[in-house]
Amino acid sequence: MSESTTSQDIASLYRFMAQCLQYPDPEWMNDDFFNVFYNLLGTFGAVTEGKEIRNTLENSSDYIEDLQIEYTRLFINGVPHVVAPPFASVYMDKSIQGSFALRTLNFYRDKGFMMEDNADLPDHLVHELEFLSLLAKEEDFAGEEEFLSKLFRPWYKQFCPRVAEETRHPYYRMVVTLIDSFTKEEEEDGFQLNEA
Amino acid sequence: MAFNLTRRKFLQTASLAAAAVPLSKVVSANTGVTKVSLEAKGTMGDTTVVGGLCEMCFWRCQLVGKVRDGQLMKLEGNPKSIDNGTAICARGNAGVKLLYDVDRLKYPLKNVGKRGEPVWKRISWKEALDECGSKLKAVVDQHGPQGICVFPHGASAKYPMHFFERTVGTHNVSEASFFQCRGIRDAAYVATIGKAPGEMVDMSNTKVIFLVGSHLGENIHVSHIKSYMKGLQGGAKLVVADPRYSASAAKSDIWVQIKPGTDTAYLLAIMNYLVQNNKYDKEFVAKHTSGFDKFSAAIAEWTLDKAAKECDIPAAQIKEVAELLAANAPNVAIHPGRHVSWYGNDFQRERSLGCLTALLGAYYVKGGWVPPKKPAKLGKTSWAPQEHGNEHNLNFIKDKKVYAFNPPGTPTELIRDCAISGKPYPIKGCVVWGQNPMQTIPNQEKMKQVFNAMDFVMCVDVMPTDVTMWADILLPESSYLERHDEIKTGVGKVKATDKEPTQFIAPRMPLVEAMFERKDQVYITNEIAKRMGHEKDIPVQTLEELVDKTLASANITLASVKAEGGIHLQPGFSPYGVPEDFMVQLFNEDVAAAGHPGAPTYKAVEDVPAGYARLLYGRAPVHTFNRSQNNVWLNHEMSTNPVWLNDEVAAKLGLKDGDTVGFINSEGVKSRTTTIVKVTPGIRKDAVYMYHGFGSANPLMTAGVGQGVDDTSLITKIAVDPETGCHGMRNNFVKLTKDGKTLDIPA
Repeated sequence: MSESTTSQDIASLYRFMAQCLQYPDPEWMNDDFFNVFYNLLGTFGAVTEGKEIRNTLENSSDYIEDLQIEYTRLFINGVPHVVAPPFASVYMDKSIQGSFALRTLNFYRDKGFMMEDNADLPDHLVHELEFLSLLAKEEDFAGEEEFLSKLFRPWYKQFCPRVAEETRHPYYRMVVTLIDSFTKEEEEDGFQLNEA
Repeated sequence: MAFNLTRRKFLQTASLAAAAVPLSKVVSANTGVTKVSLEAKGTMGDTTVVGGLCEMCFWRCQLVGKVRDGQLMKLEGNPKSIDNGTAICARGNAGVKLLYDVDRLKYPLKNVGKRGEPVWKRISWKEALDECGSKLKAVVDQHGPQGICVFPHGASAKYPMHFFERTVGTHNVSEASFFQCRGIRDAAYVATIGKAPGEMVDMSNTKVIFLVGSHLGENIHVSHIKSYMKGLQGGAKLVVADPRYSASAAKSDIWVQIKPGTDTAYLLAIMNYLVQNNKYDKEFVAKHTSGFDKFSAAIAEWTLDKAAKECDIPAAQIKEVAELLAANAPNVAIHPGRHVSWYGNDFQRERSLGCLTALLGAYYVKGGWVPPKKPAKLGKTSWAPQEHGNEHNLNFIKDKKVYAFNPPGTPTELIRDCAISGKPYPIKGCVVWGQNPMQTIPNQEKMKQVFNAMDFVMCVDVMPTDVTMWADILLPESSYLERHDEIKTGVGKVKATDKEPTQFIAPRMPLVEAMFERKDQVYITNEIAKRMGHEKDIPVQTLEELVDKTLASANITLASVKAEGGIHLQPGFSPYGVPEDFMVQLFNEDVAAAGHPGAPTYKAVEDVPAGYARLLYGRAPVHTFNRSQNNVWLNHEMSTNPVWLNDEVAAKLGLKDGDTVGFINSEGVKSRTTTIVKVTPGIRKDAVYMYHGFGSANPLMTAGVGQGVDDTSLITKIAVDPETGCHGMRNNFVKLTKDGKTLDIPA
């Protein structure tokens, strides 16, 4: 596998993960999407998890609405409270649009990117993954690593367990775990895994 | 979960490339982050955006925003302001935290669960508006326009309120600012001096400030407080009647620790003393009042001794107050108050304040009640008024009013009773816009019955509140920092040495763009109007157009005001001098004809039952009603509402400062939460006091939920002012509870 091929694959993965966390809509969340999703999980040995998601969806009379309700509860406004707002600032500044969002935006700018007019806030998880995808596409590995370590992981590692532990739907548990795995370095936990 | 890869292992997965190939086929084409062809810019630095108009409370201080890269960093008073100046209060500062509150509503939500136990689903604006429009239209088609009731509050609610009132044609509109707050005051003064009094007392130039219940300093409106402080600094004497040692009482020269509910008796005794001792302004009374003989005869029974007994205060103190007022008349500021819906006998108390001002000749004079000469009335761009008759007006029985002196709208209890009983007609659609009836209107269970009686409930707000849990459709509104909106007008002085005042006009302008999918009231209302068949009646297409059309009558535009720094200034005029035709009705024949006392009259309220204390509530300096309980800065400053308890009572109960207690009221309703005790000699033994607006039941308010006690939940006994139909909310009695035990309040 050549390095450039790998970078394009990484870009595709980031982009796909960003897609996974868009608000559920049958326009994109359809059989084709889930087939690709299950295939990806199989690639990483998560066959059991894929089956659990498939079973949950198949046992629902309206799985899109189920996912919409869960998305709303997890990320927008939920009862008893929103579980995990998908914005970095919420974890780093205890606010929407805090200084961490500004730092994120400035990082985009320094790399020659900007936010579209209809975009969400710059530190929204979806946009951060989109940005990482674009960096990978440009083969800016140093930038990707810097962004991950300084602006992504510090909040994502707080966000991820909230979703994983509190979600009522295996789809979201899997998606945030997938992102966690893909963005986490072994060193982050303070020790090197013995691969032997 | 078995799945536990790391990035390194991920990338080492041999078949990654194969798996990655189809990924791009199932993602959308566009991203929110895109490459810029131009050289990337760094940060833009701070800019000062003018035109802000605060709405953390209703006083509308003028603001500027310090904005960096579209992010509001800080709010300050507009340096051009001749009203609040560069000062804003704690709440004003904390507007930043409302703007960026994590819990704020972001997208239209549909309740796919039950009312009161919502399960929310984000939906598109189109779906939300279609549902609101079709459901409300169905109500009108089946039950008529009167089948819709509206609970509005705040600047943004005016436009939709006019739509439902004027265009759709329902009378069933109840504004909390009237029926649970100042409506009684306005109605009583209209019946006394022909106009609503506002808080237009010239405190900065007065010799005596006379307050009944008003706790200025805990109730902060910047320019008003500045005027109050200037008056005190200038040597004005301060007289405060309050059962509690309030912030004002703490600054007072005379603190009248009055028995709750008896204020009118106190005022009648002062007035009677002035009359009996020829210490009233005979010239003013002769020229500018009517009904003096009937009035003086009606109040003659109120001797100092009788009032002293009724009010539980020394007769000598009432005399001292009366003498102080007489000695300094006419330069005395008899404050009309603001939140006055206390005991259900409030119209007469407010009439008394208006009449006392007249006896002292304190209208239109320095230091008295002086309405400033504001800019000529601006245009009133809104939905065109239409005549809908009174056939379905609940405040009319045939041609006679139920509450003859109601403020605008329909008294809340008439709407609630009709909605619950279905008589005389069904009310099946409810629109709540910016108001939180669960925490503004007494008797929450009754409010729940109203919502449960509806076919459709929609709420529009910036935050989730206790009432939004009852919505079928919940719409997110842009906040006061993100939209154009109402226009504040007033007068002030550019320089302290100016002889004549200057007028100002300050339209609201956005300091930042609205985030997420929040929309303003004109967009939402118009889209609903289109779906209800009223497209041809739409008066403006945008909120900006509405403001500009309104400003046109003053020959200014949003653009011109923005160029002036967000505030337009123009020469003003001296406010002093009594208009020739100004008349005060000491005895009001219309009030008498409607079956009420024509002269101010005291009606005793229910006494405190043995073992209970009267529940009093009031405002906190760093919170506004129940609207700011989730603001993290303000919550940090004041997260709970300690209950004030008399020190001797506390000693008998074995309670000490900081003890945790709950409540049970005389109707058996228990508080959902607890608070802490503040032990103080500064409250009467027969009353307890707490700040209003805490203890939200809505878990969506992650900072405010369950913090302190919701006083409104304990206000279950409903008193209604017979002249106005407004609520009285201080006739409820409570015991404390601790560790599962109920504690009787000792006499």
